[in-house]
Amino acid sequence: MIDSVNVPEVLPSSIPVPSAVISSASYLWFYFITFFKLIPGAHYVIDYVEKSHQDDPYRTFVEVLLILYSIVYFLSKPKKKGAVDQPKLSEKEIDNLIEEWEPEPIVVPDERNEWRLAKIPVIEGSGADNVINITRDNGKEAYASAFNLCSFNFLQLSKHPRVVEIAKEIIKNYGVGSCGPAGFYGNEDVHYNLEYDLASFFGTENSVLYGQDFCVSSSVIPAFTKRGDVIVADDKISVSSQNALQLSRSTVYYYKHNDMASLENLLHELDEAEKKEKLPAIPRKFIVTEGIFHRTGEIAPLPELVQLKRKYKYRLFIDETFSIGVLGATGRGLTEYYNINRATSIDITVGSLATAIGSSGGFVLGDNVMVRHQRIGSNAYCFSASLPPYAVRTASTVLQMMDEDNSSVTKLRYLSNKLHEWFQTDTELLRYIEVTSHRDSSVLHFQLTDAQRQQKFGSSIESVFQESQYQQQHCISDHFVESWEKEEIFLQAIVDTVLIDGNILISRDTIVLKQETLPVTPNISICCNSSMEESQLLDAYNVIRIAIIKHCSEA
Amino acid sequence: MISISSTRVPLIPPEDIPLEDKKENEFGQLTSEEYLYQSKSRDGKALQDPILDAPAYHVSLITYLNYLILIILGHIHDFLGLTFQKEKHKDIMEQDGLAPWFSTFESFYVRRLKQRIDDCFSRPTTGVPGRFIRCLDRVSHNLNDYFTYPGTTSMCLNLSSYNYLGFAQSEGQCTTAALEATDKYGVYSGGPRTRIGTTDLHVMTEKYVAQFVGKEDAILFSMGYGTNANFFNSFLDSKCLVISDSLNHTSIRTGVRLSGAAVKTFKHNDMRALEKLIREQIVQGQSKTHRPWKKIIICVEGLYSMEGTMANLPKLVELKKKYKCYLFVDEAHSIGAMGPSGRGVCDFFGIPCSDIDIMMGTLTKSFGAAGGYIAADKWIIDRFRLDLTTPHYGEPTPAPVLAQIASSLKTITGDINPGEGQERLQRIAFNARYLRLALQRLGFIVYGIADSPVIPMLLYAPSKMPAFSRMMLQRKIAVVVVAYPATPLIESRVRFCVSAALTKEDIDYLLQHINEVGDKLFLKVSSGKAGGSLDGKPPRWNIDEVIKRTPTDCKDDSFFRI
Ligand SMILES: Cc1ncc(COP(=O)(O)O)c(C=O)c1O
Repeated sequence: MIDSVNVPEVLPSSIPVPSAVISSASYLWFYFITFFKLIPGAHYVIDYVEKSHQDDPYRTFVEVLLILYSIVYFLSKPKKKGAVDQPKLSEKEIDNLIEEWEPEPIVVPDERNEWRLAKIPVIEGSGADNVINITRDNGKEAYASAFNLCSFNFLQLSKHPRVVEIAKEIIKNYGVGSCGPAGFYGNEDVHYNLEYDLASFFGTENSVLYGQDFCVSSSVIPAFTKRGDVIVADDKISVSSQNALQLSRSTVYYYKHNDMASLENLLHELDEAEKKEKLPAIPRKFIVTEGIFHRTGEIAPLPELVQLKRKYKYRLFIDETFSIGVLGATGRGLTEYYNINRATSIDITVGSLATAIGSSGGFVLGDNVMVRHQRIGSNAYCFSASLPPYAVRTASTVLQMMDEDNSSVTKLRYLSNKLHEWFQTDTELLRYIEVTSHRDSSVLHFQLTDAQRQQKFGSSIESVFQESQYQQQHCISDHFVESWEKEEIFLQAIVDTVLIDGNILISRDTIVLKQETLPVTPNISICCNSSMEESQLLDAYNVIRIAIIKHCSEA
Repeated sequence: MISISSTRVPLIPPEDIPLEDKKENEFGQLTSEEYLYQSKSRDGKALQDPILDAPAYHVSLITYLNYLILIILGHIHDFLGLTFQKEKHKDIMEQDGLAPWFSTFESFYVRRLKQRIDDCFSRPTTGVPGRFIRCLDRVSHNLNDYFTYPGTTSMCLNLSSYNYLGFAQSEGQCTTAALEATDKYGVYSGGPRTRIGTTDLHVMTEKYVAQFVGKEDAILFSMGYGTNANFFNSFLDSKCLVISDSLNHTSIRTGVRLSGAAVKTFKHNDMRALEKLIREQIVQGQSKTHRPWKKIIICVEGLYSMEGTMANLPKLVELKKKYKCYLFVDEAHSIGAMGPSGRGVCDFFGIPCSDIDIMMGTLTKSFGAAGGYIAADKWIIDRFRLDLTTPHYGEPTPAPVLAQIASSLKTITGDINPGEGQERLQRIAFNARYLRLALQRLGFIVYGIADSPVIPMLLYAPSKMPAFSRMMLQRKIAVVVVAYPATPLIESRVRFCVSAALTKEDIDYLLQHINEVGDKLFLKVSSGKAGGSLDGKPPRWNIDEVIKRTPTDCKDDSFFRI
């Protein structure tokens, strides 16, 4: 039977191949062809191959190669990139590797900066009072009736009996917690009404409440930005905005702190670059800055910012945590200070209910469209329970009181100005320290002069930043910059002397260096509030001044 | 009273009712000792794999069709709107050189799907979110474009608030404590914790919380979301790995993203997938350099708030020990609500707390307060006090909230009003089991484990969500409906949050109405394989039969898959 079929000659006879191979290959070929012909339509393929082989024998060869290549290509494709060079390990080898792996401890204790723990004051009673009893270091140190220059409750209105009564009334009718997020029955009538009150007090279309001030920026900005959007930020913004930029997915550029020429240059460059790129749609663009800077107490130049944002078509985001209740004749913040309409100049204002307003929580002001989107797109709003009703009503009442009477704002400004005046005209002090804050800021920030820093610790702001950044980039778990630590210890010594000698509590600005992504300077801040007397402040100033001079002139 | 309708939510004066009624509205008196259930510790026993009931194919098909129609209509709407009604669609168009706040595509779901049912969300309320919740009546205009408020209210049975132990009250020892704290400390603390915000009340409350959860030390924050969102960056960096359950809360995901750590997710509660992932990751190491990870931390939640499922702790602890990973458990919903003494997952599973490295939880839910905590060994917490951002830059927890936390904790442990805490725990355990078994017997598909006070009931088709929510509101019952993106696309559901404040009779009332609405909306689609059936056939019990037999049956573990 085999004889009657023409077995194709697959191999030339000249190569010495064992006959068994030849015959088995021939059988294989034969059965392959026989079965292949059974498939309907197979003869077309065979015809094609035969014909093309006749025309051009090399073509068959090339085609076979192509088919083989594509099969190899397809088979190799599903493998993941990372797995390609992954050696195949046996279970035993894997177990050994797991056995060998030694993880770091969950946190890395570091004695070098644990002195800070002992310096945290524990207040008996409210930290918003002017005279407080404190203990430190697990009760080892105690100070009675210390004068408190640390509190951010600048207007002291939430201590007013009227406010306390309302807070208690609300607790008696609403309980404490709201037990639900805003979308699911957590927003009560009082929450809606505070939103109306905030909007009308600050002259914007609408507002949104958040559970904690520190979370607001880092939730609002990422709610609107995505990859490809542009954020231009001041290079001295605080950690909450830094976090926001990190979560924003956008391209972030920094301009020099409060330097409008630097900002304009940057905007101009970006504009040129964008024109060249011919994007399919314009990206969202934001300028991010602060009203009164958390860190330095300086004030942002709003008129120029507004002009630039209009010229270059940006949206303006301002964190007014420290300027609301402080700036402007009636405490309406940065816009009132510069006499500018908030609704048409600032697109997103972020503020805190926990600073001058003296309640708790944070808020955002802006137009209806922006607010509406936040209510479904902003994580800290959607996925968190709303504020306790009493805190909300407290804030509404404080706003109402600010509206009725601006005397506490006026008094606060007067005291802030005085405090700054004393420090800033004290030539002896200014040999050692530099006051960075604006005279209208209710927090006075001072830091060592560059020369002092160089002389005492052999460092500069840049050197500290570089070292800190190096450690961040290399993921050093026990992040530690020695000169920074020494400077902080030095400032703490001043704080301690003021406390021990004068029974006055001031504080270093609390900074976590390893969380800062921008250059930052150790500094001491002194807060005044509207229920203080000028004479008390003056006495405090004298004590602080002596302490600074004592420590700085040593060595 | 306000007479004319306003587009603004009016401030509603408190109801003028006798004190006894007010108390009863916030927390119903126990009607019989029979309606209590003391839950038992599992003594280290792991959970069985859950059986998920799936509806018949036509239900899924209808659900997809439902979405398809909504999406097509939405696109037609968008097209016509953007062509003919430019004025109305300003928010999604470029305007004088500014990009729109959000893109047409991204906001499509919200504008065209969610807005249709906006009347089911953000219902304004007033007063205490206790056993009953007072919802403000509102009238929707122009397809939920805006609402008007006539100024009237409806008292609704509350199945929506996270008020597990019923501490949302305005009478009783917790309120007294909160009022005293307001007098003594005021409503505000002064500034960040490490600056001036730490009061003796903070120190004391942190001690109570640590004791309660069984750790050496704890640190409190004023917001639960913020606790997670600003936590992970204090001890993780890009050379660390986070292994995260796929259904973890947004706050955890945000926090991990901020830390820059690498993230790998495993399928919800799938312990085999988790083990495989851990092995693979220890061997492979960091993604580019293949150096070993500095540390690996497994993040899970105690009780998942959309599923009613729990982390399988015994298995997790075993894996974590075997592979030298660390374990982070977010007990937002389980603390207070689960376990024989309300101490959360460890208590529930009977596992020592030392087996969890970091215990996080929120105080918003079971304790009727606000904020969150992180508890761990003292040396770890000390480090967090220095490295976390919130205590340095954010506000502290205010005094009235602290007082509420401390007094509710002490009530649970029996230090104040001995017996009351135990009763609350036994009531929520009974209520949760009763409602769950009853729903199963009626023929509904519910997810989660027997003792979970979160009971998600599946609705499937998106259009049944608003229907269910509105029909329940008409019957004076406040419920929460959730859909995509909080759940998988076709698994739209209603979530009942059971509270100790509800009486058995409240649940009977609820069941009767769910039964009625369920029949109208064809929601009884279970096959019985996940529970509720005695004979293996799809359970479709008669409502009277359910109410008669379930209160005793629900105490028997054999009716549940435990
Ligand atoms: C697991 C989980 N973590 C954190 C939170 C946030 O808590 P809070 O509402 O107190 O901000 C929630 C709240 O829904 C949650 O479910």
